[in-house]
Amino acid sequence: MIRFDGVSHQYGALEALRGVSFEVPAGALCVLLGESGSGKSTLLRTVNRLIEPTAGRVLLGGRDVAGIDPQALRRGIGYVIQSVGLFPHRSVAANVATVPRLLGWDRPRVEARVDALLEMVGLDPGAYRDRRPATLSGGQAQRVGLARALAADPPVLLMDEPFSALDPGTRRGLQVALRRIHAETGKTILLVTHDLEEALVLADRIAVMAEGRLVAEGPPAEVLGPGAPEAVRRMVRTGALALHRLAALPAAGAAEDGPALGSPGLPAGATLEDALLLMLAHGTGSVSLEGAPPRHLSMAAILRASAP
Amino acid sequence: MTALIPLALAAALLPPLLGWISIAPNRLLSPRAAALPGNPPVLAAAVLYYLSLLGTLLSACRPRLSWLPEAATILAILFLSATVGLGTAAALPADSTVARAAPAAGAWLSLLVLSLALAAAAVMRGGMPALPLLVGLFGLTVLGATGVLDSLSLMREAAGRAAELRDALAGHVALSLAALLLALMLAVPFSALAMGRPRLEAAFLTAASSIQVIPSLALFGLLIAPLAALASAFPVLRELGLGGIGPAPAILGIAAYLVLPLARGILSGLRVAPADLVEAARGQGLSPSGVLWGLRVPLGAGVMLGALRLAAVQAVGLATLAALVGGGGLGTLVFQGIGQLATDLILLGVFPVLALSLVVDAGLALLARLVPA
Repeated sequence: MIRFDGVSHQYGALEALRGVSFEVPAGALCVLLGESGSGKSTLLRTVNRLIEPTAGRVLLGGRDVAGIDPQALRRGIGYVIQSVGLFPHRSVAANVATVPRLLGWDRPRVEARVDALLEMVGLDPGAYRDRRPATLSGGQAQRVGLARALAADPPVLLMDEPFSALDPGTRRGLQVALRRIHAETGKTILLVTHDLEEALVLADRIAVMAEGRLVAEGPPAEVLGPGAPEAVRRMVRTGALALHRLAALPAAGAAEDGPALGSPGLPAGATLEDALLLMLAHGTGSVSLEGAPPRHLSMAAILRASAP
Repeated sequence: MTALIPLALAAALLPPLLGWISIAPNRLLSPRAAALPGNPPVLAAAVLYYLSLLGTLLSACRPRLSWLPEAATILAILFLSATVGLGTAAALPADSTVARAAPAAGAWLSLLVLSLALAAAAVMRGGMPALPLLVGLFGLTVLGATGVLDSLSLMREAAGRAAELRDALAGHVALSLAALLLALMLAVPFSALAMGRPRLEAAFLTAASSIQVIPSLALFGLLIAPLAALASAFPVLRELGLGGIGPAPAILGIAAYLVLPLARGILSGLRVAPADLVEAARGQGLSPSGVLWGLRVPLGAGVMLGALRLAAVQAVGLATLAALVGGGGLGTLVFQGIGQLATDLILLGVFPVLALSLVVDAGLALLARLVPA
């Protein structure tokens, strides 16, 4: 869906991007992970041509974006930024309707779309439609920002540190909402963050950037796996990498057949991290997986699964 | 509001101490303070004046209705004017047609103090000072229309020069408006051009501010020679009314002063929209003109209107000097009055300039309030 092909960008003497190549498959939620200054935001903005690569190209659905009129291109891509960027002099509804209006949709269609989107991001349209952005909390404003980005039903969503300015509780709520929306709509999402935990919660795929280069790319368990590159290891506390890896691995993958009598039950879809936490909480060496046929998971299995 | 108390007390004491009215044998001789005649209408007006002042004092001490001090002060201004008007009517010698009457120092100073109190009360209430002053001015106009002030020298001067006054006022408005439009025609495109080009902006603003250091009269004078040369080289221009003397140098000169406040206001207005908001708007696919008209202009409208207000008031003030280069306007009356040492004639020019400034200021301030922040 999105293919970076040797993308480089130079700000004067500074090389912000150095030949980045990888592909985000259609329908994936790919997290661009890196420290500040790693070039991840710059890379994101080459997709909607807010930044033009000085070498290489960006393909969107097989077309080189350099050949698409920037305004038409941007109207077909949802864009969410950290500071939200809602227009303060317009109502919530008018903000969400920005791109549909630019595309010339008729009024009833725009209004129906606005209400449906507010609903989708978890805001009651009746209560929020006519409010001004200044009256919203940070989390509500970012929900409106998300609705605005989805307004014209673009196949691709670009999100630049969308939740970084929010407090942890609000951030978790929005992460859950984003996962749900991603599952419901099947959008291709490219999201920039410097927060490894956020990446683990959200990502199907993680692309790790350092000093303008792509250092690792793939499913989370693979990127954080035994062969994780130095740049990835630097991002986590010594020893914590293994712990984070547990969060990326499903518990079902390490389970063994047969029941474990008297051990606490683990819900289906849980990760190895959840299993370990449950063992620690109950002081037991094994947990049983809920569902049929009966399966269980032991501490030894967790150790095997996460071994470098 | 307690700051109004000393002002109200001063307004109460000044007329009896320094005189209410003054009489001069004719238009040009200096007036002398005269006693306030004690006939019933004069006394009634004076009593109402003191009652109004008492109202100002009491409402300032115990604020209940926020606009009460302003209303009482406006009444005080009107009753003081009525006292002076009725008093001079009674005090003018019946046999003389050339004798002139005017408010004495005490009455003038009281009017000044009360105007100050009015503006202060409006500011303390959180309102615009121009608005109650305009209401007071309107009240004085109505009072003038009733004939109560007819015996005042100023009103006689106005009656004798009604046509001249009307022309001067119309000319003044035309000069200010023309200069403001010309300055806008320069400032708007230059600001648009300088936006995002810091070096051009610096050069342009430096040029515009260097004009500010030239005294206005000198600038008008400097324009006379080139404009005269231009007009003699191209007779077509002379046909159009351009020349070294007349409205042309005045309009050009005034406009030159207005370019700086306008351009600075427009440029800072365009910068009100924060950079990340502009970035978000571009990311949504807004065109450059969409960003300008949908974001920068609405968010900067308050700042830009503020600059327009400043420039418009400045235009009204500067247009007074147009008379010195033959440009007409209310300055004609002022400078004639100075030349003849006739105070009333000066005031006849000055009061409409003041009123015009207040109207422009209040009008544009009201407009700015309609713009959502």
